[in-house]
Amino acid sequence: MNRLRLAATLVAALLLASCGAGQRSEQPEVYPSEQIRLIVPYTAGGPTDIAARSLGSYMEGVLGQTVMVENLPGASGSAAYQELVSADPDGHTLSMTALPTAVLNYLTNDVGYTRDDFAPVGVITQVPSALVVPAASPYADLTALFAAARTDPALVSVGTPGATNTHAAETKRITQLYGVPLTVVPFEGAQEVLTALLGGNVAAGFVNASQDILPSIESGQLRVLAVGTQARLPYLDSPTFVEQGYPELTRSTTTFGVVAPAGTPSAVIAQLEQIMRAASVDPETRRSIGERYVPDQFMGSAELAALFTEAEQTFQGVASGG
Amino acid sequence: VDVLDGIAQGFAVALNPVNILYVFLGVLIGTVIGVLPGLGPTATIALLLPLTYEIEPHTAVILLAGIYYGSMYGGTITSVLLRLPGEAASVVTTFDGYEMAKQGRAGPALGIAAIGSFVGGVLAVVGLALLAPPLAALAVSFGPPEYVALTALGILLVTYLGTGSALKSLSMAALGLLLATVGQDPIEGTTRFTFGQVALFDGLDFVAVAMGLFGVGEILHSLERTEKVQAVTRKIRHIWPSRTDLRDSAGAIGRGSVLGFLIGVLPGGGGVVSSLASYALEKRRAKDPSRFGRGAIEGVAGPETANNASSTSAFIPLLTLGIPANVVLALIFGALLVQGVTPGPQLIDQHPEIFWGVIASMFVGNLMLLALNIPLVGVFVQILRVRAGVLAAFALLVTMAGVFSVNNDATDMWVVLAFGLLGWLMKKTGFEPGPLVLAFVLGPILERAFRQSMLISGGSLDVFVTRPISGGLLAVTALVVVVSIVTSRRRARVLHRHGVPAATHDELTPAEGDR
Repeated sequence: MNRLRLAATLVAALLLASCGAGQRSEQPEVYPSEQIRLIVPYTAGGPTDIAARSLGSYMEGVLGQTVMVENLPGASGSAAYQELVSADPDGHTLSMTALPTAVLNYLTNDVGYTRDDFAPVGVITQVPSALVVPAASPYADLTALFAAARTDPALVSVGTPGATNTHAAETKRITQLYGVPLTVVPFEGAQEVLTALLGGNVAAGFVNASQDILPSIESGQLRVLAVGTQARLPYLDSPTFVEQGYPELTRSTTTFGVVAPAGTPSAVIAQLEQIMRAASVDPETRRSIGERYVPDQFMGSAELAALFTEAEQTFQGVASGG
Repeated sequence: VDVLDGIAQGFAVALNPVNILYVFLGVLIGTVIGVLPGLGPTATIALLLPLTYEIEPHTAVILLAGIYYGSMYGGTITSVLLRLPGEAASVVTTFDGYEMAKQGRAGPALGIAAIGSFVGGVLAVVGLALLAPPLAALAVSFGPPEYVALTALGILLVTYLGTGSALKSLSMAALGLLLATVGQDPIEGTTRFTFGQVALFDGLDFVAVAMGLFGVGEILHSLERTEKVQAVTRKIRHIWPSRTDLRDSAGAIGRGSVLGFLIGVLPGGGGVVSSLASYALEKRRAKDPSRFGRGAIEGVAGPETANNASSTSAFIPLLTLGIPANVVLALIFGALLVQGVTPGPQLIDQHPEIFWGVIASMFVGNLMLLALNIPLVGVFVQILRVRAGVLAAFALLVTMAGVFSVNNDATDMWVVLAFGLLGWLMKKTGFEPGPLVLAFVLGPILERAFRQSMLISGGSLDVFVTRPISGGLLAVTALVVVVSIVTSRRRARVLHRHGVPAATHDELTPAEGDR
């Protein structure tokens, strides 16, 4: 028994040593020297997961190393970001991220990271948001909705897909910046907001104009009162908040990108950024991640870093204390 | 025409070779675990949950549903032959089924149970197909106040309709509600009871809690049981019931189908309640009630029909409102959520392949069960010879691996072990895990809906009584409190008189079953 255990230990030690040796023999400049973990902060099968898997397979083709997509859902992504920031900053552990949620997490609660713990790599997609009402709604446009809210603050409830997410925070900004008293009613996911809208239980909904909501807009079940982008969207015939007199309401777009742990060598970040830039014009990758959401102009490390700073400044006032 | 289209689409899904395989696997596993006294449908579905993540959502539900109604058949076999209910819903079958077996009529008892189950199952499938779509349309108007009323009713029903002590059930439901508050506040996003652990931000993982309580708890409990199962030596002949038997049972089967269907739809309803209710009904209707308990075939036919019908109709609240009616459905709810499918009013439109596919698969599955059960009863009984130790070790391994695979999070391992221990202690002390788990699932829905209602109404409680549906549901809730006190006393007397042997677990366990 004892001898067996000794033998097993020896074999294990040898195996470990050989792994170590294998690593050491590589030059540190050569990246990647081993398989890459790409963490997805959400469940398998969702849009982030699909984007990660398409990007991952593109990266595999270029880098010649396996890209392991790993789903670590929980706590609006915080579980994944904690895992990321505790990993070696060598470019072999990356994570998908969603902004502003990633920032709102640490503005709302102590989650063990801030934006300083990330080295941004680049943006994959940007999904705009829309303020919608059911087809039968008495509010013909944004002006009517906001006027109703001003006359009776309890009248206009706005369903959002979560309590601490972008849409809840942006709705609070409307109240803060423009004095429109709106009641935020958080639901669990856009699907529940949709049901509440169709059942007439909330006056309006503030959601991402993503693949799961667009069909209800196209079929006429929902009407869009405003979209949260600077300019009108090519695939939605609706005015922006900006052109209706609310120039500040452009911060609710969700940005999906890739981050590495802070301290990752800048050469590695630059290399990864280059691959993402190439992926953003690769027809097959574009198709599988949803072409209409890929930004026209590629946004790299610097632009993603700027978005982090901007999100933090924008939502600092509304996130804490609700 | 919509329904016919749906059914056609459903059969296209259900008759796909892969799905036929999974229906078959489901009903086979269901029958086997129904036979095994240590393992019920809840524990089995909890154990197999993680294995379903890799298959299509509709195939997963087809498999899990098959296990559920399959176990209703399997449980009958040991009840009749050994007076040992394989799962809780078959407790009632021991009353007359075992008596029939003693009189040498085990064959007809099993035969009529299989036929009754088939009829009940098929009629319930038809009811589900016809009633669920209009209910789902109605369900869109269900707002937060209605969900408050419905979940409150559900939690109350599961505690009051239980066959055990109402006080113990209520305390378990309260514990479930308390455990459900762990994690981020649904409205403000602030954290509660998380002790700074990000892993607890989303609350305790449902799969880990359920698998701990039902899976690990059950495994520990079954290892303690040392009683030996008597070998079955008696030969079973003439499975097919005689013409007189069929004539005697026809009414019971018809009434059992309707009763089981109605009880299954209720939150908190399910196998045990429906079979007890059917037994009581048949006895009350009989010209000579004294035959009951002495081998009356109606006493087998009615309850067996009812429990199968209820296991089908229990899918209605889940598929139309997103509210699980009992613990087994709560597990299936969990399976769908993990797959990224949120059961609710939109399900029929958005995932018709799940809704209609599952319905059609139930028809196929019931047919398979009829074909399996009648010739193979003798084979299934032999399963009782598998050693508990082997089964337990294997089940524990599957549980732990399965829980880890949900979130890739080691915290869940501790949760499952802690709840396994808790589940085992609860079993020993006669507390039912059912109300705890159901309250744990319904708690977050209740809390969120209540606070949404408060936001929408501007803090006024009137909203619950002025809206017709929620007001109506709350009135029903009040009624249930009164009625259940009366019936639970009566039911306690029935159970007491028959001196039912150890009923193991599931949905609602008779407290005296734990001795």
